[in-house]
Amino acid sequence: MRSSRRAFLGAAATLVVAGCSSDVLGLRRSVRIAVSWSGQELRAFHKVLDGLGPLDYPVEVVPLGDDISTAFGARSTRRPDIVMLPQPGLVPRHLRDLEPMPDDLAPLGRARLWKDLLVHQSTTYGVPFKTAHKSAVWYRPSVFAQVGVQPPRLWSEWLTLNQTLTQAGIAPLSLAAGDGWVLTDFLENVLLGIAPAVYENLATATDPRPSRQPQFAEALRLVGTMWSAPDALAGGMERSLVQQFPDALVEVFGHRRAAMVLASDFAEPVVRSFAADPSDIELFTFPPMTPGAAAPVVVGGDVMVLPKPTTDDARDLVRRLAAPNAADPWIREGGFLVDGRVAGYSSELTRLAEQLAKPGEQLQFDLSDRLGRLGDINGLWRVLTDFLIKVGGRGAAVVPEAVDAAVRELRKVEG
Amino acid sequence: MGLQTNGLTLEVVGREVSGRPVPGKPRRPAGPYLLALPALLLSSLLIVPICVTVVAAFRTPGGFGIGNFAVMRDPGALHAVGNSLLWVLVAFAIVAVGFFLALFSYRLPAVTSLLQPALVIPFAVSILVSGATFRLIFDPTPERGTVTAVWTRLFGSSPVWLGPGLFWLVLVSAFGWTWLGYVVSLFRAGLDAIPDDVTRTITAEGVKGWRRLRALEIPLLRPITGVVTLTVVIAAVRVFDLVLIVVPGSMQSSADVLGLNWWRTTTSGDNPGRTAALGVVLFAIVAAAGVIGVRGLRRRRWAMPVTVVPPDPSLGRPKPSKRVRRTGWVVGFAVSLVWIFPAVVLVATALHSPREAGLHGWWSLSGLGFSSFTAAANVGLFRALLSTVLIAGAATLVLLVIAVPTAYLVAWGGLPQWLGRVVTSAFVVLAVTPVQMYAAPLRDAIGATGLAGSRIALALVHAAAGLPFAVLLLRSAFASAPPALVSEALQGPARQSAVLATVQRTYRPALVAVAVLEFALVWNDFIVGFLISGPGTTPLSLVLWGEARQFSAASGTVAAAAVVASIVPAVLLLSFWQTVVRGLTAGSRP
Repeated sequence: MRSSRRAFLGAAATLVVAGCSSDVLGLRRSVRIAVSWSGQELRAFHKVLDGLGPLDYPVEVVPLGDDISTAFGARSTRRPDIVMLPQPGLVPRHLRDLEPMPDDLAPLGRARLWKDLLVHQSTTYGVPFKTAHKSAVWYRPSVFAQVGVQPPRLWSEWLTLNQTLTQAGIAPLSLAAGDGWVLTDFLENVLLGIAPAVYENLATATDPRPSRQPQFAEALRLVGTMWSAPDALAGGMERSLVQQFPDALVEVFGHRRAAMVLASDFAEPVVRSFAADPSDIELFTFPPMTPGAAAPVVVGGDVMVLPKPTTDDARDLVRRLAAPNAADPWIREGGFLVDGRVAGYSSELTRLAEQLAKPGEQLQFDLSDRLGRLGDINGLWRVLTDFLIKVGGRGAAVVPEAVDAAVRELRKVEG
Repeated sequence: MGLQTNGLTLEVVGREVSGRPVPGKPRRPAGPYLLALPALLLSSLLIVPICVTVVAAFRTPGGFGIGNFAVMRDPGALHAVGNSLLWVLVAFAIVAVGFFLALFSYRLPAVTSLLQPALVIPFAVSILVSGATFRLIFDPTPERGTVTAVWTRLFGSSPVWLGPGLFWLVLVSAFGWTWLGYVVSLFRAGLDAIPDDVTRTITAEGVKGWRRLRALEIPLLRPITGVVTLTVVIAAVRVFDLVLIVVPGSMQSSADVLGLNWWRTTTSGDNPGRTAALGVVLFAIVAAAGVIGVRGLRRRRWAMPVTVVPPDPSLGRPKPSKRVRRTGWVVGFAVSLVWIFPAVVLVATALHSPREAGLHGWWSLSGLGFSSFTAAANVGLFRALLSTVLIAGAATLVLLVIAVPTAYLVAWGGLPQWLGRVVTSAFVVLAVTPVQMYAAPLRDAIGATGLAGSRIALALVHAAAGLPFAVLLLRSAFASAPPALVSEALQGPARQSAVLATVQRTYRPALVAVAVLEFALVWNDFIVGFLISGPGTTPLSLVLWGEARQFSAASGTVAAAAVVASIVPAVLLLSFWQTVVRGLTAGSRP
């Protein structure tokens, strides 16, 4: 009896010691990497980490979701050592909190497009990890063949195509209005297509005021024309409002209730895993708005930054993740583009990668990510959601008034 | 000077004072007061940040004033206040429905045996899980959503249940599903405690229907009604995670409640004074609701002696007729089925592969297996499980160690009456204070001390938040069995066992209730971990929340994570439910 009691106490003591060991209490110094991913993307990132081979330090992934920008500033032993920032536009705002990139990595941050965001006074503060092509429209070729149409080469052709599909009883568009960024992506593509200079000015202005730009209202009007066409949105406006980004993809490829969906390259794994017919998947890129104009390409991405103060372990992990083949496990899963790389993807993503790498394309970074508060859930997201509620499927006549209301609302947010 | 009592005359005779007066103090030992020291230290974790918030709310650039409360003129904030008040109405409705369900199950006894577990499970799972479950049930696609599928089959097409306006139905269903079991169980316990002679007298007098309700049940249940209303109203005003998980992003601004509005304002980097003012308004609403709820308690003493002698079964209520019993059984079975249905949906969804769960509803027969659980494990579910066990265990332990002596002090420590009243009121105020009142300063303080994300800090905050309720509950239990009883039990060998049994009967349920509820609350917590712990400690609920960001496509993983997260609290509460209810109602018996 006595010995069993002693054994029990011994076991209890071991448990207590184990329980208090610093790792469990959260005091051991592992390299903590904050990411905004969840679900499939998070699992793919774990695969990337596993593929790095044995490391001298433990790595802990901290999924922060939409609150990723809170990763800066907290002075604590458990603050993240690396942040995978999905809004590179935030980098200039956090220069004080960030450590410069080591010299051997700095050139990676000086690539085209990234340079403006990541380099300040010739110091590089971040390196890209993942690039997103936000001007891709995924569609089912079988539907296009059924009504005898080709992917549109112009915005006007796209409008006609939608009409043809509607007349054939097929809902052309599935819209994920439940996620505000899907709506802003739509508008950004149109704005970049009609007025690249205005887009660039807004993106770089210190106090951007999109509501003052007539081209911004014009872009709203054009988007409104497409969304307001009767029966253009699969399930109607209300269904669109409750649809998140993967739901919209499932509507097109899983339940086959719509023909196409504006989604990024990172839609690929969702499309493939839910597709009823794996061979019935294609994509076209956002068409030019007018004949002769360049096709708009809106780019997004996640950049690696090092919050201050950093450690050698954190630098080492960034170096490993920035290596050319580090992301291969994720590329195999699909839905991942590496900046500057054009090979090794599926055929659809290869086309997107090629467009990103082609010189002379109308490339711009995601505008809403660079507008700060104006571009987020209380700003442009909400304004565009209200705009969709006003116009969705109600015919072109309601559009002008809805545009005015949206501009007024945006002006209020601008303050 | 003379006093006369019972025929005895006491003569008070003064004695001549000789020599200098001896300086001295009255004999009031300071020892017992030390018992409260740990509680004071722990509570300061809340009190200090609350004071910081209040000061911040009233501090304006030009000194002190109510300038920050101009934030209430913001239409968004006003809308949120309106929604929060709507939630209070929802809470009252749930209390009313629960009362009649309890009355119904009391009149038809066979209902209880089946209904009880069906009602307890929803209360055991977190509100996040129940929100996820109802979002699955009301999914807008006919292939996935149960209600949409049935509606489409019956009427050809279905409203978009999560759409504008209709999302309220989903929110209220999820909230009601969670809380109704608690309400019914407590009312049932109150009804069961009504002495049989009273019931029999009323019945003999032929009082029936509404008159009987107003003469018998309503007045006798008033103390319990107070406790129940208080808990449910506070839960309703504090609704936060439910809206986050149920309402699609595009409609969250129209579903906004004050707690959420506060959170959005803090994350958008608004002026801290204005966010503090929002917190104070939220607190004022909760406090007002609390005062109304406590009024029920005031009618009678907070602490009531518990009936110690178990009712003699031979003197119990007359056995109902066979027909009544059969009806009760059928109705009970039906209600239980309806009530357990959401849990079935959740488990069945979890048992489908992620692809199948994303495409089709829980009833689909293809794609069955455990792959959703594997997928959930791959996003760190088991690490989170360990984290949650540690946090909940530590918080419960700390809470018990600190709350028991404090409650003893408040009940029997010989505190001056005014002090006892002050302490009790302070604890009542702290018990209803919403986390938004202390989250921001506490998070900053934890960050500044370099403890952000440490599990210890989170566990301590949980213990501090649980302390007021625990002390109030334990105090009631302690108050009902005086210390004399205990010492008598320890000294007098003759009645020892009987008295000890009495003491055990009065103390144990309250202790069990505190431990079980604290563990389950911390286990299920979302808001404290979300608002205070900062990046790092990822309890289960945060992992679940991360997965739920792309809800429908992740249905399988969300459901699997929800099932894993719910097993422990469900088993815990199912095993201890009777004791917990006895512990909760100990101080509010008629």
